[in-house]
Amino acid sequence: MTPLYELQGVVRRYGDRVALDVPELAIHPGEIVGLVGPNGSGKSTLLRTLAFLDPPDEGMLLFRGAPACPATPELRRQATLLLQEPYLLKTSIFENVAYGVRLRGEKDPVGRVRKALEAVGLDYDAFARRPWHALSGGEAQRVALASRLALRPAVLLLDEPTASVDASSAGAVRNAILSAVRQDGTTLVVVSHDLLWLYEVASRTVGLRGGRVVASGAENVLAGRWERKEGEPGHLVLEDGQGVMAPPMPLGATMGLLSPEAIALSILPPGGSAPRNVLKGTVGQMFWERGPHRVLVRVGVGSLSLAVRMTADAVRDQGIHPGREVWLSFDPSALRWGS
Amino acid sequence: MDYIAQGVIQAFVLLWTGDEETWSAIYTTVKMSSISIAVCLALGTPLGFILGYADFPGKKGVRTVVNTLLALPTVAVGLVVYAFISRRGPLGELGLLFTVSGMAVGQIILALPVVVALTANAVESMDERLRLTLLTLGADGKRLALSTLYEARYAVLLAAANAYGRVISEVGVSMMLGGNIKWHTRTITTAISLETGKGEFALGIALGLVLLILAFAVNSVLSLARQRATI
Amino acid sequence: MKRTMRILSLVTLVLMLATAAFAAPVLRMATTTSTEDTGLLDYMEPFFRQATGIELQWVAVGTGKALELGKNCDVDVLLVHAPSAEKIYVQEGHGVNRRQVMYNDFVLLGPAADPAKVKGLAVGEALKAIAAAKQPFVSRGDKSGTHVAELVLWKGAGMEAPDKDAWYISTGQGMIQTINVAGEKNGYTLADRGTFIKYEANAKGNPPVVILVEGDSALRNQYSVIAVNPAKCANVQYDLALKYADWMVSPETQKLIADFKLEGKQLFFPNADE
Repeated sequence: MTPLYELQGVVRRYGDRVALDVPELAIHPGEIVGLVGPNGSGKSTLLRTLAFLDPPDEGMLLFRGAPACPATPELRRQATLLLQEPYLLKTSIFENVAYGVRLRGEKDPVGRVRKALEAVGLDYDAFARRPWHALSGGEAQRVALASRLALRPAVLLLDEPTASVDASSAGAVRNAILSAVRQDGTTLVVVSHDLLWLYEVASRTVGLRGGRVVASGAENVLAGRWERKEGEPGHLVLEDGQGVMAPPMPLGATMGLLSPEAIALSILPPGGSAPRNVLKGTVGQMFWERGPHRVLVRVGVGSLSLAVRMTADAVRDQGIHPGREVWLSFDPSALRWGS
Repeated sequence: MDYIAQGVIQAFVLLWTGDEETWSAIYTTVKMSSISIAVCLALGTPLGFILGYADFPGKKGVRTVVNTLLALPTVAVGLVVYAFISRRGPLGELGLLFTVSGMAVGQIILALPVVVALTANAVESMDERLRLTLLTLGADGKRLALSTLYEARYAVLLAAANAYGRVISEVGVSMMLGGNIKWHTRTITTAISLETGKGEFALGIALGLVLLILAFAVNSVLSLARQRATI
Repeated sequence: MKRTMRILSLVTLVLMLATAAFAAPVLRMATTTSTEDTGLLDYMEPFFRQATGIELQWVAVGTGKALELGKNCDVDVLLVHAPSAEKIYVQEGHGVNRRQVMYNDFVLLGPAADPAKVKGLAVGEALKAIAAAKQPFVSRGDKSGTHVAELVLWKGAGMEAPDKDAWYISTGQGMIQTINVAGEKNGYTLADRGTFIKYEANAKGNPPVVILVEGDSALRNQYSVIAVNPAKCANVQYDLALKYADWMVSPETQKLIADFKLEGKQLFFPNADE
């Protein structure tokens, strides 16, 4: 199957700063991709690139196998982006939602506007005639989402859709997004700090750091002051004094990458004589991952938070719950180097 | 002190009894400033929009020129326009001197930079999110530009009200180009100047009060527009 | 775009209508502030319209500016009061058919305390006394008829106008403002009688400056009407200007002028027959 998006060597710079540097990334139709990473890691830039609003300086962006640069208006209408801070046009709610529908040649947008407003939990009769400034922050976000949903786009790109809204609006937003996915098979790319929800809905997560895709899924990033000596194993001392051993560090490497599957979790200190890294930590959060059908357990070790992926059965059998002290162990050779 | 109170009382008497001369001056003022503002908006809004929206070589230079024109001294404008529309001037054949149209020409030159500069500023400082939103909803090209202009409409209104305020309170150009002809080109400001010349302070104050009321009305529009423009 | 075009055409229409409103027979006159400020023109205009069917529009400025407007062909006729300047103007060919219409007179004003002791003197002696005492003298300084007359009076007193001296204040403003400055500065000034009568009436019987010198034949203020020369200004409405001049010197109009009163006092004295 042809991927919906293919990015090859995509680089986006703002002045001297590299905001995005993605050697390779593919997104398939119907996928729900979660983007995670700290602030300034390039998530919003990636979303704008996928929305065809911010063409890359280098590299290839393909949509359904065809080059997407420069973006034609028809192409731009395949994807729509919900900004982190919604911007409503200075007109009625109805016209806000109808704007894009009309641009697509729909002469009578009432039906689609009504449906979209109801999808985000806003009563059509109560809201359609209101001016743009007579809304709460949460309602504004819902109207902004409705104006996108009304377009029935192939791809919905969401930048922190629930970050700045109240709890009930956040719920309405999440419901509306999921029902769009279920009903229309919309492909979804989401940036969210709401990890609990993100891990639950995402079929896949992509980690970004400094504009680069550092990990796919919930890959662990061990950043810190690594000691590097030529030809000798790498060594990282954590804040609480515990140490991590690694294969020799190549030049240019700045962080260790560790897959959540590579870590074993136990409630007793692990035995055995093989040279393994053993760390003591405390369970923080646990997420149900719809995609891999696993539980992602986040364990705090010093200032690090390491994700461990395990089956639901294993979680139950070992009696793991947040606050529980656990032992993590992994083979030093499982650590890969990233820059 | 007397004549101040007298002036205020007389203002209401003049307005209430429909004093013909007073109302003629008010009518001329409104007519002259409305013609000026209509032309300013018709010319200035597109120019200002292009200046704020489009990128072209020399844009910075044009902006500097427009901003300089904001500070055009009214007397200089009056003099230059007089030189052009005097019967001996190159446009003398049009017979614009000492007519409302002639005054409007001067006022347009004064107020056009205000409309252009404020519109350009408003469009230029539009929220970046607006552009992204319009694009992602499927707008492009002409539609993108028109929607951006529509979003800037309160800012344009703000510019118009500012320009209107400048025009109705202006006296130098009106006096020089209109000639303060009774029933024809006597505006509120030139009438005030005349009444002061005659020593009729009370009547001057009365007309000043009328101007104040007009300015108040314009400012009400202005603050409403400002509110809308910033929401 | 369509809407912009609509607005533009509407504006053009309004502009055309506004211009068209001036298509009726209109005589445009440049005159001095004194004829407007005293209300003489407002008083006479309806009579003129009734007699001739012509609408008279006037621009009231200083005599210097009025002559300038005539030179630029912006008006058809002048009603001014600076005989010396008028004669040069006619000699240079800008105006034709100058006819004297009426006169009023200038008065020398000053504080009632009269520190330069000029009260009752001939005007030449009075100016010399002010200069000797270095008392403030406030001048229009705007090339108006009054200013021109003042300069002639200084010359008559055997001296140039003391433009550079600190006690000589040149306002560059209208008559009322200039009298006001004299009042504030406790100074002397030359004014036309009409403006002073209005000033006195406004001051409710307690004016800061009063008449100290009057009645001197040198203080006569002659008004004349001059048609703008059609040979120099093709657009000028010479026939209308002549009609106005004829009307102004007719016996009926001369009587109208004599009948005009301000605060119960006659201001202008018709003398077309002199």
